[in-house]
Amino acid sequence: MRNGWREPSRLAVGGSTLAAVVVLWYLATTFTQIIPPVYFPTPAEVLQAFRQITVQGYADGQLQQHFLHSCWLVLMGFAAAVGLGVPLGMLMGWSRRAEALINPVFLLLRPIPPLAWIPLAIVWLGLGDAAKVLVIWFAAFVPAVINSYAGVRSIEPYLIEAARSLGIRGAMLVREVLFPGALPLIFTGLRLSLQACWTTLVAAELIGAIVGLGHVLYQAGLDLFPAMIVVGMIGVAIAGGLMTTALGRLEAWSMPWHRR
Amino acid sequence: MRANVALRRREFVVLSCAGLAAFFAIWALASMLGTTARQFLPPPWVVAEKFVELTHEPFSGFTLQHHLLSSFARFGMGFTLAVLIGIPLGLILGWFRWLDVIVSPLLDALRFVAPIAWVPFAALWFGTGIGGPVLVIFTGAFPPCVINAYRGARYVDQHLIEAARTLGARHWQIISEVLLPASVPSIVAGLRVSAGLGWQSLVGAELIVASSGIGYVLVKGQASISTSIVMSGMIAIGIVGFAIDALLRRAEMHLQRRRGGDR
Amino acid sequence: MNRHSHPLLLAAIFAAVATAAQAQPTEIRVSYQPALYWALPFYVATEKGWWGELGLKPAFSTFPAGVPQIAASASKSWDVGGTGSVPAVLGAARYNLLTIGLTNDESAGNALVAAAPKADGYTKNPQSIKGETIVLTANSTGDYAVQSCLAKWGLKKADVTIKSMGQAEIISAMSSKNADLGGLWAPNIYTMEEKEGAKVICSGKDTGTVIPGALVVRADYAKEQPQNVAKFLAVYLRAWKWMNAHRPEAIVLMKKFYDLGGVSISQASMEKEFDTRPTFDLAGQLKIMKGGETSDVDKWMNQIAEFMKSTGTLPEPPQASRYVTDEYMRMVDSDPKLKEFANRSN
Repeated sequence: MRNGWREPSRLAVGGSTLAAVVVLWYLATTFTQIIPPVYFPTPAEVLQAFRQITVQGYADGQLQQHFLHSCWLVLMGFAAAVGLGVPLGMLMGWSRRAEALINPVFLLLRPIPPLAWIPLAIVWLGLGDAAKVLVIWFAAFVPAVINSYAGVRSIEPYLIEAARSLGIRGAMLVREVLFPGALPLIFTGLRLSLQACWTTLVAAELIGAIVGLGHVLYQAGLDLFPAMIVVGMIGVAIAGGLMTTALGRLEAWSMPWHRR
Repeated sequence: MRANVALRRREFVVLSCAGLAAFFAIWALASMLGTTARQFLPPPWVVAEKFVELTHEPFSGFTLQHHLLSSFARFGMGFTLAVLIGIPLGLILGWFRWLDVIVSPLLDALRFVAPIAWVPFAALWFGTGIGGPVLVIFTGAFPPCVINAYRGARYVDQHLIEAARTLGARHWQIISEVLLPASVPSIVAGLRVSAGLGWQSLVGAELIVASSGIGYVLVKGQASISTSIVMSGMIAIGIVGFAIDALLRRAEMHLQRRRGGDR
Repeated sequence: MNRHSHPLLLAAIFAAVATAAQAQPTEIRVSYQPALYWALPFYVATEKGWWGELGLKPAFSTFPAGVPQIAASASKSWDVGGTGSVPAVLGAARYNLLTIGLTNDESAGNALVAAAPKADGYTKNPQSIKGETIVLTANSTGDYAVQSCLAKWGLKKADVTIKSMGQAEIISAMSSKNADLGGLWAPNIYTMEEKEGAKVICSGKDTGTVIPGALVVRADYAKEQPQNVAKFLAVYLRAWKWMNAHRPEAIVLMKKFYDLGGVSISQASMEKEFDTRPTFDLAGQLKIMKGGETSDVDKWMNQIAEFMKSTGTLPEPPQASRYVTDEYMRMVDSDPKLKEFANRSN
C-alpha cells in the first residue's frame, strides 16, 4: 500500500524479483513442464547455450565480441542522432520560423519505421556498418528532436527576457539559458533514443552482420535455437541497461541542481 | 527581436510549403544528378506514379489499400490488447508501491529487447495465426501504455486520494474513480507514443506471415528490384502512421479543452 | 434407357446426393512458400478443383522462407506442406516433421550467382573467389548449394566471408553492386539474370550434389489422419502429371501464381524451371524411397544433415531413416482409387 510502504533498497528488491522469476521459470519449464520445452527453453538449456557462446562461440564470434560490436554500433548511431537531433530540436523550439520550415518534412518522415529503411540502406550504403548506423540513427533521431524541442519550449519566457535584459545574446544565450533550461527534457529524449537504438539493433543487423548481438538473435532464429535467442535477449537487456545507467550518471553530473 | 513568437498564418503556410518543396527538390536533384544510381533513388514523380498504379493494379495479389487494410487489422488488435492490459497494469503499479518495486525491474529489462526479436517465438507459439503479428505489435506498443498510466497515477494530487479515502473508498474504487480520470492526459500522451511504436513494429511482424500486408509489399518490392515499389510502401506506411497520430492528437486536444472547461 | 427414369439411376443419384451432403470435405492445412516452382501444384490443384474430388478442403498458409514455416509447425498451425530439404532436416530434428516424398529435384535451382562484370573471371578461375564475400540465406538449400560449390573448388568456409540475409536483401545488395557473389534459388536467380545480367557460376547440379525439395507432414497428424496424408500426396502427384502433360497451360497458371507472389520472370525462364527441375511421379517416388537406409532419398538427406552439422546448426543431426518414410506413398500405391487418381494426367 502506498502509505504504509517503506522502501527497501531498490537493488535488493529488483535482484530478488529477478531471482524469483528464474525460480518460476524453472518450475514452469522444467519441474512441472506447464510450458513445454518446445515453446520456451529451460534455464538449463539457456545456461548451456551461454556456455557454448562464451567458450566455443556462436554465429562467428564469442559473446564478448558480439556484445562489444553491438555497443559500438549503437554508440555510433546514438551519437549521430544526438549530434543532429538535439540542435535541430532546439532550433525548432526556439524559432517558430524554423519550426514551420522543418516540421512538415519531419512529420512526413517520422512515422516510417526504421525497419522499412533497410532496403534503401542496403542499396545506398552497402552491407557495411554505415548502413546499420543509418537504420539505428533513424530510430534514435525522432525522440532526440521531439524532446529537445519540448525542452526549449518549456523554458519560462521570463527567464529568457531576464537574460536578454542582462545583455545575454547569441551563443551565450544558448549556452547559459536555453541549453540548461532544456536539459531535463533533452535527457528524457536521450533515454528514449537510447532505447530505440537497442530495439532497432536487431533490425539493423539483418543487413548481413558478421558479429553483433542482433546477428546472434537472427542466426539463432534461423537455427530454431530458442535458448540462444534468450541468451541474445538477455545480452541486449544488459547492454541497454548498462548504457542507460551510464546516461543517468551523466545526467546527474551535468545537472547538479536537478538532483532528485 | 524575439524569435519565439507566434507566426501569422500566411507566413506559416508559406514556410511549411517551402520546407516541403525544398525536401522534394533535394530528392529530385539527387536522383537527377545520379550520385546514387537512378534505379535506387527514383525521382519523386516516378514514385508518385508507381504509388497511384499500386492503388488500382494488384501487386503480390492485392492492391495497396488491401495490403494496408490487412496490416491495419493486425495493428488494431495488437494495439487494443496493449491498451487493455497496459493501462490497468500501469494504474495498479502506480497505486501499489510494493508491486511497482517488484515489476519495474522486469519491465525495464524487457524494454530493450526489440519487438522483432520476438518474431521466432511468435512463430513458435502462434504459427500462422493472427497471434504472431499481434504479439510482435503488442511488444512494441505495451511499454508506453504502462509507463504513462503509471506516471499519471503516481502524480495524482494527494488531496484527491485522501478525500476518497476518508469517504471510505476501496482500492479498486480509488484506482477506477480517482486515479484513472486524473491520469487521462498522461495516458492519452502515452497512447500516441504507443500507437507510433506499435505501427513501427508492424513491418517486423509481417516477416512472419508472407501473403499480405504492407511489410510484405516492401519485401517483394525489394526482391523484384523495384525501389519505387519499396518507396511507395514506405510512403503508405508513413501516411497511415501520420493519420493514426493525427487522430490521437485530436483526441488529446479535445480532452484538454474539455478539462479546461471543467474548472 | 426408357423415357421414365430408371430406378437404379434414381437410386444412384440419391446416393450421390446423400454422400455429398454427408461427406463434408475435411479440412487439411497446407503450408508452402509463394512463387516457387514446387508450390505450383497446390495452386493448379486448387484451380482445377481436384482437392474436392478426394473430399479435401485445403487451407493454405504461406511463409517467406522455410525456417519460419517449420517453426509454425510447432504450434500445429499446419498439417502438411512442401519445403526445402534443409528446413526439412531442421524440422525433423526440432519438431518431428516427417519427410513423405520429394517435391522436385532442385539441384539446378539453387546456385552461386555472380554479378555481371566479375562473373566470367570467377568462372574461369574459381580460386579467385578466395577472400571474397558471399551473401546467402543461412540454413537454406541455397546455402547448401554454395557450400557444395566451394567444396568442389577446394575452398573452405574460412576462405570466404559469409554474410547471411534474406533473399530480398541479397537481391538488393547484388543489384546495387554492394555484393558480387550471392547464394540464390529460383526464381530469384532468374530475376537477377534478367534484370541485372548476373550469371550462375555454379549450381548444386554442377557439383553432383542432389538438392531435393521435401513434402513434409507433422508426425502426430500423420498418425491421426494417415488417409488424408495419402490423399494429399495423390492430389500433388496428379498436379505434376497434368503439368508435365500440358506444359503451355501449366505455364499460363505459373505466370498467374508467380504474379500472386510478386515475382515476374520471362517466358523463357519459366520454361527453364520445367526443363531443369525434374519431378517424380508415383512410381518415381517409390523408386527413390525404396530400400530404407540405402534409398536415394535417405542418402541425399543424410548428406544435407552432414552439411548442417558442419555449419554448427545441428551438432547431432538425425538419421534419415528416422524421419524419411515411404509409408504414405505406399498407401497411395495400394489404394486403386488413389493410385488411378495420382496417375491421371488430365
